[in-house]
Amino acid sequence: MSASATVLDQGQQPAAPPREPRRRWADPDAIPIEFYGLCRGTVTLVTTLCVLFAIFTLIPIVWLIINSTKTQANIFESFGFWFASPFVFGRNFGLLFQNVDGYGIYFQWFGNTVLYAVLGGGGATALAALAGYGFARFRFPGHRVLFFVVIGALLVPITAITLPLYLSYAKVHLINSIWGMILPAMVSPIGVYLMKVFVEVSVPVELIDAARLDGAGEFKIFWRLALPLMVPGLMTVLLLNVVTVWNNYFLPLIIFSQNQLYPLTVGLGLWSERAQNSGNAELFPLVVLGGLVTIVPLIALFLILQRYWRSGLLLGSIAN
Amino acid sequence: MAGWRAPDLPQPGARQPRTPAPPEQESTIVNGTATTAQRRPLPTRSLLVQSAWARRRDRKGFWFVAPFLAFFLVLMLAPLIYAIYTSLYTTRIIGGTTFTGAANYTQTLQSGEFWSGVIRVIIFAAIQIPVMLAIAFFFATMFDLGVAKYGTLFRTIFFIPFAVPAVVGAVMWSFLLEPQFGPFVHLAHALGFANTDFFSSNLILPSIIVIVIWEWTGYNMVILYTALKSVPRDVVEAAILDDTPLWKIIVKVKLPMVRPAIVLLVFINTIGALQLFTEPQILSYFETQAISVNFTPTLYIYNTAIAGGQTQLAAAAAVILGLVIVVISVGSLFLRRRRGEI
Repeated sequence: MSASATVLDQGQQPAAPPREPRRRWADPDAIPIEFYGLCRGTVTLVTTLCVLFAIFTLIPIVWLIINSTKTQANIFESFGFWFASPFVFGRNFGLLFQNVDGYGIYFQWFGNTVLYAVLGGGGATALAALAGYGFARFRFPGHRVLFFVVIGALLVPITAITLPLYLSYAKVHLINSIWGMILPAMVSPIGVYLMKVFVEVSVPVELIDAARLDGAGEFKIFWRLALPLMVPGLMTVLLLNVVTVWNNYFLPLIIFSQNQLYPLTVGLGLWSERAQNSGNAELFPLVVLGGLVTIVPLIALFLILQRYWRSGLLLGSIAN
Repeated sequence: MAGWRAPDLPQPGARQPRTPAPPEQESTIVNGTATTAQRRPLPTRSLLVQSAWARRRDRKGFWFVAPFLAFFLVLMLAPLIYAIYTSLYTTRIIGGTTFTGAANYTQTLQSGEFWSGVIRVIIFAAIQIPVMLAIAFFFATMFDLGVAKYGTLFRTIFFIPFAVPAVVGAVMWSFLLEPQFGPFVHLAHALGFANTDFFSSNLILPSIIVIVIWEWTGYNMVILYTALKSVPRDVVEAAILDDTPLWKIIVKVKLPMVRPAIVLLVFINTIGALQLFTEPQILSYFETQAISVNFTPTLYIYNTAIAGGQTQLAAAAAVILGLVIVVISVGSLFLRRRRGEI
């Protein structure tokens, strides 16, 4: 970067003012803070406050990491923010593969969660891509009313739809069925809305019309032409939907009564309850390590795909 | 599947709009698609034929929407209608199921248990949301102005809790606040507050407020930060040239310009607060007697339906809670529209 800057300075733009060296963590577009006329020490004070809030944010996660290496006795007795011997991370991790005291196997729940998230989130994204494209690029009879209904569904709170689902499942025997978890996850009005907005910005009408003149069928145009252009939007919607399923607690809590069907959230909830109420099994280290193993893939996913959730949050905030 | 690429097309990656729909886009949401203007037919015969063809083609668009609509009807509308239907009946051990009309609704509305939960979540919202938004706005402005060092790093750290499921967040905080061995109790003891019990009936609500602030401040901060980024730079520059002190720029220039985002966040958070469930439910597993079965409206619904088996009564409560939330959302929408904010 510095090399290209010197080329610019020497050659084409001799009149350009010398560029300030870009600070690594600073925003390149921001007005330099020297212009604000700040009191001495403001930067230090604000940065200190940031550090304090960062500590508040990271404390539970650090505690989780440290205590996942401890025995139950050490979780209770040793200092919470430092390691204690014996170091039993390996043993704890091995227990996550076993059925501890008959309450269920952690990695079975992990597998269930991945299954629900992939099928539910993937299905929701596929339906949203089709519907978003349909709403954005076709004016079929009733499209306005139907889209209004979808937008209206954004207002229906999750809680208010979960109990009705449970009551309906009791009628059609979907209690304790994985489909009871996956199928409702595929209905994502916010996904439809986001895809519609995204198609409007990224799939030009002229391109579709040109393909029509070439005699391509509507579905072929969608599949071969629009879909590749929609990939960034699809990623955003997929990410949002996967995380929604991964975090869902209320629905699986009421529709599953067999622990081999639980997702992670319900399994960990059950373990926390049992850890308190049954004295014999050492469940606390498992709850701690289980919590850690649950959040690691999500935090990794968010850090890797930052670009996509950022645009998703933005679109989502416009949606409301 | 996405590997295919039309030969003459720009690369898919090259077209990503970094900043998505501009604010004007909002009008098109309500008014229909943006393509309207480009298809106005002219009164020539060939074009009339073409417009008939276009109409037939537009009808095909329905088939793109149909799969979603089918799922939507079966898994969202039908259960809602069924719940409303069920809520009009009552099952008794003697006499079976009978139509009782609004009886379940009057019972819920007259139930002190339901209302105590409602009042509790309102108190919760009244404290938690302003505190969280103040923190989020403070950090968002500081990052926007570049006053804090390492802003990008801190923004990423603050956002991490959003990736943590509420269940895990609640479990972690339950351990930290646990009255017997939790490190925070030791800390309180060291600071001179002996016998602090974060799970007692006095401190349980503040504890939940801390947990929820921990979970959601980062998300709110990111939205406010994005809103602040769209404040025109020249407005701020003009204020600086006028020697306006920084705090005045923040309060008089930046704050009014992001007010729509703040209003939006107030409503999103209020709706979330009214549905408060996961955190108190998990905390109640940690032997906290302070959390009753009707601690929040959602807990009341859950315990009435699952533990109590009175599904019809719970359905009525769910419908009431849903209606309250819809009324708040729609009301806010109209209020904002009348003020010309959207």
